[in-house]
Formats: sequence, C-alpha cells, structure tokens
Amino acid sequence: MAADLVLDTAIRDWVLIPLSVVMVLIGVLRYFVSKLMRSNQVPDAKIVKEGQLIIRARNLRAAANFIPPKSFRARRLYYNNEENGLLIVPKGQAQNPQAQMFSDPNMAMDMMKKNLSMIIPQTLTFAWVNFFFSGFVAAKIPFPLTQRFRSMLQNGIDLSTVDVSYVSSRSWYFLNLFGLRGLFSLILGEENAMDDTQKMMQMSGFGFDPSKSLGAEKDSLDIVQHDWALPKFEHRAEAVLRELAR
Amino acid sequence: MVSKTEETQLNRLENQVDNGGGGAWEYLCLVRKLKVRRSEKVLKYGLSILNDLKKRSSLGTEEWTLYEQVAIAAMDCQSLNVAKDCVRLLRKAFPESKRVGRLEAMLLEAKGSWAEAEKAYSSFLEENPLDQVIHKRRVAMAKAQGDTSGAIEWLNKYLEIFMADHDAWRELAEIYVSLQMYKQAAFCYEELILSQPTVPLHHLAYADVLYTLGGLENLQTAKKYYASVIDLTGGKNTRALFGINLCTSAIGQLAKGRNKEDKESLELQSLAATALEKDYKQRAPDKLSLLTTALKSLKVSS
Repeated sequence: MAADLVLDTAIRDWVLIPLSVVMVLIGVLRYFVSKLMRSNQVPDAKIVKEGQLIIRARNLRAAANFIPPKSFRARRLYYNNEENGLLIVPKGQAQNPQAQMFSDPNMAMDMMKKNLSMIIPQTLTFAWVNFFFSGFVAAKIPFPLTQRFRSMLQNGIDLSTVDVSYVSSRSWYFLNLFGLRGLFSLILGEENAMDDTQKMMQMSGFGFDPSKSLGAEKDSLDIVQHDWALPKFEHRAEAVLRELAR
Repeated sequence: MVSKTEETQLNRLENQVDNGGGGAWEYLCLVRKLKVRRSEKVLKYGLSILNDLKKRSSLGTEEWTLYEQVAIAAMDCQSLNVAKDCVRLLRKAFPESKRVGRLEAMLLEAKGSWAEAEKAYSSFLEENPLDQVIHKRRVAMAKAQGDTSGAIEWLNKYLEIFMADHDAWRELAEIYVSLQMYKQAAFCYEELILSQPTVPLHHLAYADVLYTLGGLENLQTAKKYYASVIDLTGGKNTRALFGINLCTSAIGQLAKGRNKEDKESLELQSLAATALEKDYKQRAPDKLSLLTTALKSLKVSS
C-alpha cells in the first residue's frame, strides 16, 4: 500500500476548485430558473375554507369549557349534524388526492416543472463530471477513516489499496451536491436555499387529504365532554378579591 | 397582538426619534412589523427619509417598501397629494404590479370616489377571490360610507371562508353592538372567546352584551364572565367590578330571594364593592362619595 500519494497541484487548480465553483453556479442558476418557472398558484377556495374550518373546530374543542353549555351544543350541532353539518363530508364526494392530481393538469404540470428543474441540471452535471473528471483522486481529508467510507469517498475508483481518506472527483461532486446548502442560504437568503434532500422529502410528503382530517375533527368533537369552567371562576374571583382586600 | 416588550420597545424608539436621536428607519420598520397605526409619525419621519436623497438611496430596494408605507399613512392623514406622489412613483417602478393597483384603489377610496374604488376592488377579487386584504378593504369602505348593513354583509361573506380570523369576528361583534343586535354580537364574542380563551377583554365584552340582553339566565352567565375577568386580570378591572355589583342586584330583583346561591353571590358582591372602594380611595378620592351612593342604591334595591 502506498504510504503517501502525492497529489499534483494541477489537480487542485483544474479539478477540485472548478468542480466546486461549477456546483455553486449551477445551484444559483437553478434557483433563478425555478423562480422564473414557478407559476403563481391560486389556492382553491374550498381548500382554504376547509383549513380555516379545521382551525375553528379545533378552537371549539380546545376552549369548549369557556362558553356556556347552550352555545357549545349549538355549535357542535352546527359542525356535526348528519344532514348539513360543516364537518360532514358526503360519502362519494371525498376526492382522492391522487385522482385529483391526475384530473388537474395544472397540478401535474407544476410537479413536472419542479422535477425538471431538479433532474435535468443534475443529470447534466453528473454526465459532465463523469466525462471530464472521472478517475481523479481530487483531495485528501486530513484524518483517517474506516473502510466503510470507501463507497462514499472513492466513488469511481475501483482500487481497494488506496487509503480511504483520499476523495475521488466523483465523490467530491456528490459531497458538493448535498453539502452546499449552507452556502446557498448565505448567497440566496435564508428560505431560498434549494436543497435537494429537502425537495425529496417534500415529494414523499405529497398527498394530504383534507376530507380525512375533517372526519377526524368531527370524531374528536363528538366525544368532547362539555364541562363549563365558568362557575369555578366565581370562587376564584372571590379568592382574588379577598387577597386584594387584605 | 402587540406584546408588552414590543410596545415598550416601540415607545422607546418613538421617544428617541421624536427627540431627534435618529433611528427613524428602525422605528418605521418596527411600526410596519407590529402593524400599529401611527400614521402621523410615519408620514413625518418617512417623508423626511424619502426627501433626503442620500438616506433614501442607502435603503436600496427597501425604498419601495417605505414608499408604500408612507403612502398608506398619508391616506390615513388625508395628505392626498403626498399619497398620490408616492403611488405615482411606485407605479413608475412597478408598472404591472397588483400591489400598486391596490394602493391606487385605496387612493380612490381615500378621495371618496367610492364607486370607482368599488369597481377596482371587485376586478381584483375576480382575479384572485381569496385576497383577504381586499375583502377587508371592502368592509372598511362600507363602514366609511355609513353603510353598516353592507359592512355586515361583506364581513359575513368574508367569514364564511376565513372563519378562523378573530379580528374579523371582533369587528363584526362591534358592528352588531353598535346596531343593538346583541344576540348576534354575543355569538361573535363567543367565537372570540373560543379562539383566544385567555384574553379578558373578550370575556368582558361578552359579559356586557349578556347583561344588556337581560333575563335571569343571561344575568347569571354575565356575572360568571365578570368573575372570570376579575380572575384573569387579578381584580384590576374596574368595569368588571361594577359589572358584578350590577348583575348581583339585577339578579336579586328578578329572583326575589328564591335563589339558593344568594348568600354566596352576595359575598362576591360585597368583596367587589370593597375592592372598588379601595381602588377609588387610592386613585380618585374626590369621587368616592359618588361611588358610595351608587353602591348603596344597588344594595337597597337588592
């Protein structure tokens, strides 16, 4: 095993630094492109209304004990009666979000735009890196690592004898791809940092179903036991005033 | 809502700016962030920044935010010429902007050209039916024209969609009270209590409405809410203390001693009365005699 590989300074100047710079520039470029392509989405009135309704029903559940029993019962009936309560979703009407996604071309279009702005530059840069910089040992990290890290740091070099602390150019590309988030948040502002990992999380979290949460809210409202808190307040007020009078 | 620390910070900054200590921009930013209404001050200091070329250019793109803020403040102070200039400059900078369009509509509204403003707002709503600000402007416009029933109608329409907006509920409640529609107002105050159960002001207003409605049950409920205000404020709310006294005497009149809880409630009343007396002694000794006669008359009637 070679004790020390000597890395040519030309590798630093022509591989390591250009790769990082290009990654940063692509990130910035992608941010502006996605900003251009982002269609101004007008939220659907029904969805907004359902969201507000859920907040209001939740408020009712949380603070039920602060209003008189009669008012509470009236409200519960308003939300929960079987005929036209606000929280009742008629059976066949509950829309499957998946189906909704396909029926609404705008939504699919939006998704596609998002995906395109993510995938195309990524494949292009990956191909570019593969073509020009494959097989370089680009850097050495200043501490030793175990064999497990070989696949992470030496992607593209199939040598088991090279010490793990050497980083191949393709791995350097991956490290940049996932690790530049902090830099982007500095350049583009806090919330603009486009992080691929985050985007992937968003994709998987797709498919929130408002009708389901309406049903859940209805069930939990059904089982609320109303216990008016106000009669207790009279005694507490007495105590407060007695304290004050002293 | 503005918290106490923010308010003290705001007042400190305002004081500093008033006395020429600088920090006008920070003050304006804070006013904008807290959404408080200090239009005269904003107009004065905002204009002084905008008229100073060096200060203005040092703001960079924030300059336009300031133009918007000053324009709205100027409309509030009826300095329509200033507002017009600001909006014109903004229009020049952003020829396509809807936000500037909104300002133009507000300018029309400030001038009193209601019909034109209404037309502008409804065209905005057609484009984006979920624009909360424009819905609210419409309510405000109806109110400014003295058309309370119109304001109620718009507010109800707004609340049908944005039913978790407690500020709108409060506005609606106040309008109902001004029209003496107490039952509707009571509903709105219940809604407010639900969304902010620990704000004593809502409890107090609800109790007031219930007391005004009258009837044994409502009076008893009102008294409970006055009691909760006392508990929440630590007995510092004079209106609630008076409310307890009034409610107890009114209940006494209606129930004529049939009530079992009489003794208990009388104790609360006497406690509230002593608290009131103590408070008056401390803060307005010359009005103490008025208070004692008032309380006496309440007690005699019970």
